[in-house]
Amino acid sequence: MKTRPMLGIVTAGLGVALLAACAPSTSTSDGGEGGDGTTLTVWSWRTEDVDEYEKIFDAYEADHEGVTVEFKPYVATEYNTILSTGLSAEGGPDVAQLRAYGGIQPLCEAGRLVELEAEDVDVSAIPEDVQQGARCEGDGGLYGVPFASQALVVFYNKAIFEANGLEEPETWDELMEVSRTLQDADVTPYAVTGKDTWVLPMLHDLFTAPRYGGPEFEEAVQAGEKDFTDADYVASIETMDEVTPYFPEDVVGVDYATAQTLFTSEKAAMYPGGSFELAFFQQQNPDLDLGVFAVPPPPGSVVNEAMTPGWVDASWGVNADSPNQEEAMELVTWMATPEFGQMVSDELKQLNPAEGVTAEDPVLQEISDLHNASPTPYLLLQDFRYGEPTGTDLMAAGLQSMLLGDADAGQVSADLQKGIAQWFEPEA
Amino acid sequence: MTPRRRGRQAPPLPVLLVFLTPALLLYSVFVVYPLFSALQYSLFDWAGTARGPFVGIDNFTGLFTTFPLDEQLVRAFGHNVVFFVGTMLIQNTLGLTFAVVLYKRRITRRIFQTLYTLPYLVSPLVVGYLWVLMLRPQFGLLNALFDSVGLESLSQPWLGDPDTALPVVILINAWQWVGFPMLLFGAALAGIPEEYDAAARVDGAGPWRAFRHITLPLLTPAIGTVAVLTFIGSFNLFALAYAVGGSQGAPAGSLDVLGLVFYRTAFEGGVNAIGQSSALAVLMFFFIFGIAVVANRYLRRREAELT
Repeated sequence: MKTRPMLGIVTAGLGVALLAACAPSTSTSDGGEGGDGTTLTVWSWRTEDVDEYEKIFDAYEADHEGVTVEFKPYVATEYNTILSTGLSAEGGPDVAQLRAYGGIQPLCEAGRLVELEAEDVDVSAIPEDVQQGARCEGDGGLYGVPFASQALVVFYNKAIFEANGLEEPETWDELMEVSRTLQDADVTPYAVTGKDTWVLPMLHDLFTAPRYGGPEFEEAVQAGEKDFTDADYVASIETMDEVTPYFPEDVVGVDYATAQTLFTSEKAAMYPGGSFELAFFQQQNPDLDLGVFAVPPPPGSVVNEAMTPGWVDASWGVNADSPNQEEAMELVTWMATPEFGQMVSDELKQLNPAEGVTAEDPVLQEISDLHNASPTPYLLLQDFRYGEPTGTDLMAAGLQSMLLGDADAGQVSADLQKGIAQWFEPEA
Repeated sequence: MTPRRRGRQAPPLPVLLVFLTPALLLYSVFVVYPLFSALQYSLFDWAGTARGPFVGIDNFTGLFTTFPLDEQLVRAFGHNVVFFVGTMLIQNTLGLTFAVVLYKRRITRRIFQTLYTLPYLVSPLVVGYLWVLMLRPQFGLLNALFDSVGLESLSQPWLGDPDTALPVVILINAWQWVGFPMLLFGAALAGIPEEYDAAARVDGAGPWRAFRHITLPLLTPAIGTVAVLTFIGSFNLFALAYAVGGSQGAPAGSLDVLGLVFYRTAFEGGVNAIGQSSALAVLMFFFIFGIAVVANRYLRRREAELT
């Protein structure tokens, strides 16, 4: 039989191919011990920041002989899955960029991260409330070093404001007057998306936080004294109806990219958004003369001053299974210093919460000043992402229905309360 | 000369194994194993990627008792049904029409078949994105077209209005896939002997009657196959809905389908994402598999009655 040897070869070949396919790919962090140094792998979801991080880590490597830091970013929308898989298998990162608040929960509960305070990491430069973004709800432990914060403001086009004889509004009435004037001049007052719903809960806090009381309300909700059906909170959602007439036509059909383009192509005068938009705006239209302001308190506000909502966006944590614990801990310790913070601010144009960091970019500094002058939490993101459904998802769906005229403020807040009550327990 | 024998005799077992093993291995590793692991995952509580205690059917009941997931599931299921019915009515009717019109035109047939099947080659994600660009209310092509010919009243946010979004997506999907039923029906039409049609014409039947009473009944097997495949495709819909409506099925969840609900629970879910999404995956699989099997059985029987 001629076929027999052939058959054996084919089967053997197949087996080898399969075995090779099953073997784990060469691990980056384990392979780092080669030579006389250590390679630390750092994972992130910021694919756009590769060059900047190279620069930042070059500075670190210069001071730490024998340590090489390899920055490895993944696509943002898939990062959570990639990271949780990476941390539970071989070949994961030594240091990882972590989502904040509820986003850190699946990882710290599964024991994938090192608790940093027990390891004496010095986080004294980072304010208490900011650290909250990297704490685990169960044990209250600190699992990350927060390094990027965001704040919500209204960006405006100074040239359009000037051409229409407008100034930064100081009161709610002036804000309405500005909006009306722009609309009469055939300029879209606010570039806003109603389609990409994750933006909507931000708009609610941006425009109306003083109406429900910001931090005061947060405390009352946490203590169980109030909930989201509270009259002031409902009224704050209702307040959105005063601004929505100045959103683009058919706003529910406008996606995020279109909203950004409306603003950078100077078809819209204002863009209510986050500090994270700044670098993109400047890159898209370097000639854009940008200003920022905080929305003045709406009528009937509980707190009678403009407030700037903010939150922690990201932190750095250490993989509990990393073979390079010591070096990883040293890197993260450095990431908690103002030195690293200043680089984040200068190179990445992100707000860094460490004390003593000032922004090189005047607009970014102004956003930071606004937030520091009167901070309020981006409530639903900070406190209500620890369970499913999340507060931000519920509010997003509710506000979109409101834009379409399918729901009113009472219903939106009732749904929000109903969804959250399924997992949220106020402190007794 | 010995008459040529048809290879009815089964090849020896080792040969069979060589040819079957690779496919079987791939099938086991990528289909059977994930299926059973999903079933197993769905019975446990999860903390991230760490498996917690056994919880029985809690993950399954959770799908139907957690607000707003319970409402979203029902809504998404409804959208899948509408998508299936719409696709059957529009895409497959058009596919049949094209096939009937083309199958007697030998020269133009190839050109049109190629043209109609071209959109296949483009990923549904890309197709979705292109149509989103064309239908954008601000800078979109379609509304600009309407405006330029004085039909402003027709220009509207096609994908931004919950009433029009799903129908428009059904049309986009039909635009991409109409070539598929067309090819299947074309092949089935080619298999019908011309004499049948000729005999009917001799008996005085017009073109419509001949089609209605001769051709259409003989197409039943092909219609059945297309229906089952459309059903599976409609209930597994994901890429196009995601490209147009994002993970939330915007606007206002009007494009929310089971695939998107699964995506949200799995990749945007909370601590117990693995448990809950596995439960949903298991349910979806058994539903689609069950209906497909029942429909197939029924169609086979109908087919047997025909011959």
